[in-house]
Amino acid sequence: MTCDLNRTDDQRQILDAATAMLAAHYPVARLREPRTDSMAALAEFGGFLLAASEEDGGAGFTLVEEALLHVRLGHHLVSPRAVAGALACRLAARQAEPALAERIAAGAAEVCPALPHGDGHLLIDAEGAALALAFEGRRLSLIELGGTAPEPVAGLGHGGIATSRLAPGRGRRIAEGDDRACLTADLLVSAQLLGIAEAARDLAVDYAQTRRQFGKPIGAFQAIKHHCANMGLQAEMLSAQLDMAAIAARDGRDDAAFQVAALRRLAPRAALFNTRTAIQVHGGIGFSAEADIHHYLKQAHVLIRLGEPAPLLDLPAALAPRTNRPRRTPCASP
Amino acid sequence: MRLDITEDDECFRRAARDWLADNVPAAPAPYDGQPARDYALDWLATCHAGGWSGLGWPREYGGQGAPGEKLILWYEEYVRARAPSVLDCTFVAVNHAGPTLIALGSDAQKAFHLPRILEGRSVWCQGFSEPGAGSDLASLAATGRVEGDEIVVNGQKIWTSFADIADYQELLIRTDPDQDRHRGLSWVICDMTAPGITVRPIRNMAGVTHFAEVFYDDVRIPLSNVVGGLHDGWRTAMTTLGFERRTAAMGVQLALSIKVEDLIARAEPAPGSATAERLADLRAEAAALRAMTYRTVFRDSATSSDGSLMRLVFAELAQRIAQASMDILGAEALTDTPPTHDYLEAYSETIAGGTAEIQRNIIAERILGLPRS
Ligand SMILES: Cc1cc2nc3c(=O)[nH]c(=O)nc-3n(C[C@H](O)[C@H](O)[C@H](O)COP(=O)(O)OP(=O)(O)OC[C@H]3O[C@@H](n4cnc5c(N)ncnc54)[C@H](O)[C@@H]3O)c2cc1C
Repeated sequence: MTCDLNRTDDQRQILDAATAMLAAHYPVARLREPRTDSMAALAEFGGFLLAASEEDGGAGFTLVEEALLHVRLGHHLVSPRAVAGALACRLAARQAEPALAERIAAGAAEVCPALPHGDGHLLIDAEGAALALAFEGRRLSLIELGGTAPEPVAGLGHGGIATSRLAPGRGRRIAEGDDRACLTADLLVSAQLLGIAEAARDLAVDYAQTRRQFGKPIGAFQAIKHHCANMGLQAEMLSAQLDMAAIAARDGRDDAAFQVAALRRLAPRAALFNTRTAIQVHGGIGFSAEADIHHYLKQAHVLIRLGEPAPLLDLPAALAPRTNRPRRTPCASP
Repeated sequence: MRLDITEDDECFRRAARDWLADNVPAAPAPYDGQPARDYALDWLATCHAGGWSGLGWPREYGGQGAPGEKLILWYEEYVRARAPSVLDCTFVAVNHAGPTLIALGSDAQKAFHLPRILEGRSVWCQGFSEPGAGSDLASLAATGRVEGDEIVVNGQKIWTSFADIADYQELLIRTDPDQDRHRGLSWVICDMTAPGITVRPIRNMAGVTHFAEVFYDDVRIPLSNVVGGLHDGWRTAMTTLGFERRTAAMGVQLALSIKVEDLIARAEPAPGSATAERLADLRAEAAALRAMTYRTVFRDSATSSDGSLMRLVFAELAQRIAQASMDILGAEALTDTPPTHDYLEAYSETIAGGTAEIQRNIIAERILGLPRS
C-alpha cells in the first residue's frame, strides 16, 4: 500500500520513549511549584535533532516524528522554550552558525520565545536564557540576549506564566527565518496545541468517570457526555489534519503551505474550546488554582501567540495526493 | 505514515478525469419523482458502461476490488468534475444494500440483485424508521408473521427516502413477537410492487417529495428473502448502518471541499472582511474533514464509532457551509435557487441517519468510554 496513515513501529517506539522521558522529567504535577523548565532532558533525548539528518547528529527521523513528539510535549505542558529551541537550531544552522546550533540542540544554550510588546519584546520563560526567538507576524528572528537583563513583569493569572520585558533595542539579531522555518513553526505550535486539546479532553473524561453526583458518575449525564463528545471531535479533526500537514511538509508536496495553514487556523480554536469545556466539566475545582486544567488554558494562550497563521484564502486549495516522481512511462490507453 | 501514489494510480486518476469530463451530464439532477429515478439510473448505467461502477465491490461480485487509493482518487475526481451527488436514489443500493448482501446474503440473493444494482437497473430504499421508532430503532413495531415459507408483514414505516420510486426495500420487522428490543427482528428484502403496500409521499421543508410513509397490509414476502438469519435482523441492520456511516460517505464528504471552493469563488470576499474570515474557517474545516476521511480509509483501527465522529463533523460543517452560502446571497436568498435549496436541505444532515445527539452519545460512550445512561 502506498498510502498508509498507521503509525510505523519506529514511530511508536520513539513516542513510547518520549512518553517515558516526559513522565520522568516533565510530570504535569511539577507546575504546582512555579519554576522554569530546563531543556536539558529534552535535549538529551535528542528532541531538538529528531528531524536532522544523520550527518548533523540527527536520529534519521523526519518532521512527521518531530510533530508527533511536540504533541506529546503539549500533553506535558513543556515550556514553549521547546518550540523556540527547535526553531532556533534551524535558524542558527541556516546562518552558518553550526557551533551555536549544536549548543542549542545540546541544551547548553537555552532559547525563550519573544513576542512584540510595545516597542520592545515580551519574553516567556526567559530565566537563564541566552537567546530569544522572536515571533513577529510571519517573521522569525533569533536574538542574542547577551548581558541584557529582561525586567520581570507579572504574567497572566498572577504569575501563571513567567513573563519579562526586553527593552527596545536590546539584544542583537543574529539570524532570520525563511518560509520553511515559518512552516515548521506553524506545524510545531499546532502540534503542541493538539497535545493540549487531547490532554484537556482526557482530563475531563477521567474526571467525568470518577466524580459522582446524584448517585452516579457525572459522565452518565448527557450534558456532560456531549461536552466530552465535542472535545473528542475537536481533537480528532485537528489530529487528522496534523498528519496530513506533517506528511505534506515532510515530503515537500505542493499543498504543504495550504495544509499547514489550515492546521494552524484550526489549532487555537480546538485548544481553547477543549480547555474551556474541560474547566466547565470540572465544576468548582476546575476554577481553582489547585486543579491542573487552568495550566492547559494558559499554555494554549501562550502558544497561540507564537506567530500569525498564513492567510488561508491566499493559498491555492489542496488537491488529492499526487506522485512526487515525474512520469517515466506514458499511461497505457484504457 | 505516507500518502504517496504510484504512477499507476496517477494514470487511473487521469483516466477518471478524462472520462468524467466527457460523461458528466450537463443538466442538473431533478429533485424527485420518476425524473429523479430516470436520471440517477441513467447516470449509474453510464458509469457501469464506462467501467466505473462498483469500484469498491469485490471482483467476484462484478466490482473492481479497488484499493483505498483508487477509491479516494475516483471520488476526488468525481467531486472535482461536479458529477451528480452520490446521495441520489441509487445510494442505498450501491452503498449499503449491495454491501450488506455481499456480507450476509444467500447465493441466490446475490446472483439476482447484485448485477441489477451495479448495472443501474434497480432502486432500493431503507425501511427502518417508524412513527414510534426513530432514534430508538430497536422499539420498532412492524410485524412479520411466519406462515409456511412466507412472512406476512403488517405495520408502517416512515421517512423512507425514495420509497415512491424504489423497486426493493431493506425492511426491518419484528418476526418473533415473544422477544423485544434488539432480539426477534429480521432484515428482509421487500419487493415494493408486492400487493398490500401503499406508499404515501411526504413533502419536505425544501418542497421536495424525497421521502414517504409506507403501509404494509398483509404483505407476503418469501422466507428466502431474509438476509442474515431469521430473527437475527439486528446484526444485519448494524452491518448496513456500518456501511452507511463509513466509506459509503466518502463521496459526500469530499464534496464539501468543492462546495467551499465554489462558495469562495462566488463570494469574492474582501481580504480581512468578516466574510473572508468565515470562509477561511470553512476552508480549514473542510480540509480537516478530508483528512479524517483519508484516515478512515488508510488507518487499520477505524471502527464504525469513528464513523460517528466523521458523520457528525460532516453534518455540522455541511450546515455551516449552507448557512454561509445563504448569508452572502443578498435578496436572492429568498428565491428558489440551488444554494437556497441546498440550504433548506441541509437541515436534514443532523437528523437523517442518526441525529447529532445520538452520534454524540455514541462518541461519548463507545469512543471515550463514559457510562451508558
Ligand atoms: C431526510 C431524511 C431522510 C431519511 N431517510 C430515511 C430512510 O431512508 N430510511 C429510514 O429508515 N429512515 C430515514 N430517515 C429517518 C431518520 O433515521 C430518523 O428521522 C432519525 O433516526 C430520527 O428519528 P425521529 O425522526 O423519530 O426523531 P426522534 O428520535 O423522535 O428525535 C427527536 C429529537 O429527540 C432527540 N433524541 C431522541 N433520543 C435521544 C437520546 N437518547 N438522547 C438525546 N436526544 C435524543 C433527537 O436527537 C431529536 O433531536 C430519514 C430522515 C430524514 C430527515
